[in-house]
Amino acid sequence: MTEGKDVETMGFEEAMASLEELVSKLEKGDLDLESSLLVYEQAVALRERCKAILEQSERRVQKLIDGPEGPELKDFE
Amino acid sequence: MNIISVKELNEKAKTLLAASPDLNDVWVQGEISNLTKHSSGHYYFTLKDQDSEIRCTLFRFTRSRLAFEPELNMKVLALGSMEVFIPKGSYQFNIQDMRRSGIGDLYLAYEALKAKLGKEGLFDQSRKRKLPRYPLRIGVVTSPTGAAIRDILQVTGRRFPADIVIAPALVQGDGAAASIVHAIESLNKLDVDVMIVGRGGGSIEDLWAFNEEAVARAIHASRVPVVSAVGHETDFTIADLVADVRAPTPSAAAELLLPDRSQEMRHLQQVTGRAEKALRGSLDRMCSRYRLAEAQLSPRKALMDLRHRNQLLDEASTSMDNLMLRRLERQRARLQSLGSSLVALSPLQVLSRGYCVLQSAQGKALVSIEQLSLGDKVTALLRDGKVTAVVEEKEAKR
Repeated sequence: MTEGKDVETMGFEEAMASLEELVSKLEKGDLDLESSLLVYEQAVALRERCKAILEQSERRVQKLIDGPEGPELKDFE
Repeated sequence: MNIISVKELNEKAKTLLAASPDLNDVWVQGEISNLTKHSSGHYYFTLKDQDSEIRCTLFRFTRSRLAFEPELNMKVLALGSMEVFIPKGSYQFNIQDMRRSGIGDLYLAYEALKAKLGKEGLFDQSRKRKLPRYPLRIGVVTSPTGAAIRDILQVTGRRFPADIVIAPALVQGDGAAASIVHAIESLNKLDVDVMIVGRGGGSIEDLWAFNEEAVARAIHASRVPVVSAVGHETDFTIADLVADVRAPTPSAAAELLLPDRSQEMRHLQQVTGRAEKALRGSLDRMCSRYRLAEAQLSPRKALMDLRHRNQLLDEASTSMDNLMLRRLERQRARLQSLGSSLVALSPLQVLSRGYCVLQSAQGKALVSIEQLSLGDKVTALLRDGKVTAVVEEKEAKR
């Protein structure tokens, strides 16, 4: 779950899973108002994280080469 | 002496060849070289084996009925007849049908390996692993210069961002299988989430490395899930059968592995929308609970309370006004009394009661005999004026 975990370092899969979990919790509707707001707040933070990951388009392309100490990585292109 | 023309000579040879059953409708095995694909649609090439070669013609009509596209270095079985080409005085093999040779052996090997590995359970659905939903790092085993890697890089670039690690491998020819095995093993030493093993389309010989046992075993042993992407032929390679998921082409593998960015964005909006709706739902429920509780309290009583309270408030404010007024009046009265005391304190009022003020010649008020000597002039202020006198006697109080 999201408690005690830094949303900013979460991967997309984890953040999305947490977000979906929070949303189903909210949808159950058995939380009091204060907890609902708290959960919603967490959900918004997770959404922002997911969005940030989706919008960052940088990726690395590397090539594996055989070095003296086993495989090494070099930038491709 | 019977003299004939060159043409007649060649025509005699042609007739002789055409009549010889050993040179007509025969199957010849060889390898294609010097291939010329003429714009007319006719193909010309040389069929050769270790010891000899023969020029061949493959006319458009025959070629169009072949089950495959003849290429250089291809081993073929050709059915045809020997003919003389009269203008050149050369003879050539005119092909009426042609099949690929060696393929039969390959198919046999393929079927044998498929049966063997199938029996060992390498293709079992139960051992297929689920692919990661959002891989962060994808390994690609393929030729670094081939079309496959270009396609993969192009497709992955516009989808969900993931790093790509290319493990270069020979994908056809001698040593291809060993090279592919080595690349798969190398990628297993890195923290890639999934790998694509493949190449662009080609003939069955080109793809053969993906039908070799060593490659199948390496895919089977891979810790990292494998997506096979071998060409776009309809037939499955052994690698396709062992892989966790088979993609028909390298581009398809990339699409299958990485979710579409805009689709994910829509999904995200959808999920957030659900959160908002749920929150609004609980707010609505809270509101109706509140209204219910409110209704349960007697509305008439509440109204009465309200009126009563307003009255109290009115009264209170009225009394407050009064209080202020009274206070103001008191202050005014006090001010007035203060004014009269001030008047009473004025020394001029004292004078009117029969007292006087004695001043020195310098105008200083005198209060003690010590301030005066005999003969000093003093001024006495009275109610209606002043008089000057001289001190004639001094006597201290006893």
